[in-house]
Amino acid sequence: MKPKVAFFDFAGCEGDQLQIANLEEEILDLLGQVEVVSFREVMKEHSDDYDIAFIEGSCTRLQDEERLKEIRKNASVVVAIGSCATIGGINSLKNYQNMDDVKKIVYGEKASLFDTYPARPIDAVIPVDAYVHGCPMTKAEFLHVVKSLLLGKKPEIPNYPVCVECKKNENVCAFERGEFCVGPITRAGCDSCCVNEGTKCWGCRGMVDNPNENSQKEVLVKYGLSVDDAIGKFKLYFGWQGKKK
Amino acid sequence: MHVLSKEDFSEFINSLIADNSLNVVGVKSKGEKFAFGPLESANQLRLDYDVTILPPKKYFFPQRETLVTYNVSSGYKSKSLEDVKPTIIVGAHPYDIMALLHMDEIFRETKSDPNYLSRRNSSVIIGVNIQNMSESCFASSMGCATIDYGYDLMLTDLGDKYAIDVGSHKGADLLNKYSKNVKKGLARDIQSVGKKKQEIMNKTHQKFGFSSELIPEMLGKFYEKTSFWEDHSEECLSCGSCVLVCPTCYCFDVIDNPDLSLKTGERERTWDGCLLEDFAKISSGENFRNTKATRYRHRYFKKGKYLFDRFGFVSCVGCGRCSSTCLPDIANPVNLFNDMYDESLKIGIQIDPATIPDIKIKTGNTIDYAPKIATIVKKVPMTANETMFELKLDDGSELGHQPGQFVQVSVFGVGEAPFGVSSSPTKKDTFELCIRKLGNVTSKIHTLNEGDKVGIRGPFGNGFNAELLKGKDLLFVAGGLGIVPLRSLFNYVLDNRNDYGRVILLYGCKEPRELLFGDEILSLEDRDDVEFKSTVDRCPENEVWNSNVGVITTLIPQVDFDPQKTYAVVCGPPIMYKFVIRDLKSHNVPDDHIIVSLERRMKCGVGKCGHCQINQLYVCKDGPVFNYSKIKGIPEAL
Repeated sequence: MKPKVAFFDFAGCEGDQLQIANLEEEILDLLGQVEVVSFREVMKEHSDDYDIAFIEGSCTRLQDEERLKEIRKNASVVVAIGSCATIGGINSLKNYQNMDDVKKIVYGEKASLFDTYPARPIDAVIPVDAYVHGCPMTKAEFLHVVKSLLLGKKPEIPNYPVCVECKKNENVCAFERGEFCVGPITRAGCDSCCVNEGTKCWGCRGMVDNPNENSQKEVLVKYGLSVDDAIGKFKLYFGWQGKKK
Repeated sequence: MHVLSKEDFSEFINSLIADNSLNVVGVKSKGEKFAFGPLESANQLRLDYDVTILPPKKYFFPQRETLVTYNVSSGYKSKSLEDVKPTIIVGAHPYDIMALLHMDEIFRETKSDPNYLSRRNSSVIIGVNIQNMSESCFASSMGCATIDYGYDLMLTDLGDKYAIDVGSHKGADLLNKYSKNVKKGLARDIQSVGKKKQEIMNKTHQKFGFSSELIPEMLGKFYEKTSFWEDHSEECLSCGSCVLVCPTCYCFDVIDNPDLSLKTGERERTWDGCLLEDFAKISSGENFRNTKATRYRHRYFKKGKYLFDRFGFVSCVGCGRCSSTCLPDIANPVNLFNDMYDESLKIGIQIDPATIPDIKIKTGNTIDYAPKIATIVKKVPMTANETMFELKLDDGSELGHQPGQFVQVSVFGVGEAPFGVSSSPTKKDTFELCIRKLGNVTSKIHTLNEGDKVGIRGPFGNGFNAELLKGKDLLFVAGGLGIVPLRSLFNYVLDNRNDYGRVILLYGCKEPRELLFGDEILSLEDRDDVEFKSTVDRCPENEVWNSNVGVITTLIPQVDFDPQKTYAVVCGPPIMYKFVIRDLKSHNVPDDHIIVSLERRMKCGVGKCGHCQINQLYVCKDGPVFNYSKIKGIPEAL
């Protein structure tokens, strides 16, 4: 029997689910392996009977935690997809500010009608079994994770930095092009896609398990950033460093 | 020596490119840098380059390559490289040619790597003498700024023409077939080339303050200087850039890539690096080089000492790629070795040049990365996490292992992992593996049933020398899963009982329910030709245990043995060895009477991928069974 899968979204742009909708020729092969029972972005039907839950987006309100716990209860495997779900993503930029100010900036006079709290990844609320990092996640890595799960395998996600893939791809180092890159501490798995395209790594996959943050900051300063700007480089995607459930 | 005008040289390159049976690559610009890439026209060539981002090694040992394809219904097949197109490499600098000569020896040693060698054998190297030297280059200090062999053709820029030195028949044929107007070099051309080479040899931006011949010995004296390595690696990002750009690095990882049918797929080899955090980590979580300093030190030792001891060369050609790629600027070998030399002067260490070791390189069979297929004929759960699998090779052949050897077991789409064979070679038709559920491969194997298929490569490594042990008293010391490889020897000895003296087995595990081969082991108590003692670290209240409670070493004083007549055979978790060996020695057991079997991460099984390396030893090739007297001075071993 094909495993039943469902997709859910929290605070995010739904760009990761769009990557799945855009799988094109592979989507048919994928549908040969799984039965999709819920996917708001592409279908009307919904069922709470599923084996694998893919969750996009970060948790930014206390009341969202209940929904996450419900999903965890229903699913035997929970997969976080995209940076917001795996590491908190750019939503966590608000965590550097006062939450009341954040509400006022976004909702103005109606701020009191809305709740918010510091943005966090899914695994800050419920245990997560597998991660598809990236902003957005790549189709290739999504398929890699799905295939691994179908084979009963814990998906292998690199614990080495983007530099490894960047070197294999023989890119000119972003620092040598005058860019400020956080690839040396960012978890690989994206095949260094941004640097391949001539830009730099922003860190959307979160840091490796044991990043040498001090050395990375020193490198940024050595190449000409101010200390404050070097610290700022860590804020874009590394805003949540809380504990996992 | 020949000469060819620059116009005619371009014609030569263009006629190579026009031949579709050849894959012509050369140095091209890439942004502000240079890289080897496919040539579409001779105009793209930049023979005035300083250094390429990656060395030409990538054409023989590519960043990613398929080793094996599989289909669950028809098994594993090595990917055929018969149709490999000859690659013509235009513009290799002498240091990169030297690096290829290093790689040739490494990939040929003991068992030869078919993928590397078939690409290498069909290639043509057109070298070029350095015209612009990169800031970080120290090739002249390593004797690699110029080279007199290893190429098929070697170019030297003489202004309006190239001098071409023919290095092989292959080079001569290529020149004959594809070029026009080749002239014989005149005395003045030969002299100009000589002068240019001399200039290159004298030129360097980076210089050792001592003779580079001291490197192996100097390293040897600095291994234990922990603070030296910690200070130098403090800023290491563990990003692996230094080893990934290195022309003589060859560590790799192997991963399975199933396609979406989940029935077919490829096993891929990809570059790995010993500087990366998880490089020496095994699935139980143990990491044998778990600090930046130990990984950083390993890189220098591998290049400067281990490969020197094995092949007689320091495996660095001075290209300087590592130093220019390292963002915190700590990977420059010149700086490191100069610091080391200064430090040795300061603390008064005398360093002599290393004598070239007596090299005995064996070359042998070609590696077949494709596993044979075996069927699970019996599956016996032993504990909550350990199951015994009895396997039979489908081609009807015997495994033919020695006690203590291991096999690599493949599960389609999940991967490959090493396991010690737990049955004795006296059991011929089938063999047994006892497998603990721990990582991906082992968890998947646990879901397989009788009749299911797995892949088998091996047997690999050095087993126990059962002949040497004949007539001796044997003291087996097994901790936990360590019983598995020991059992192959233990059962062999029992099957040839008259050949051996006393047989004593000390076996310990954490709790009674973790006891492996329970019935078989406990039935030993009924034999009068085997002395058996068991222990558990602790016995929870709900379990029954009528024997010793305490760690394995508490059993050693309980047996009386003659240390001169006894050989101790020890296997267990990494932590166990230190304590067991200490206690054996306190009972006066000579070092060479202690035999251990070690566990490390192994990917290739044939001494290439680098994961199982303990200092200069490869566990997969030199082990997993070692005589303690041979490894007691090797710091990473125990």
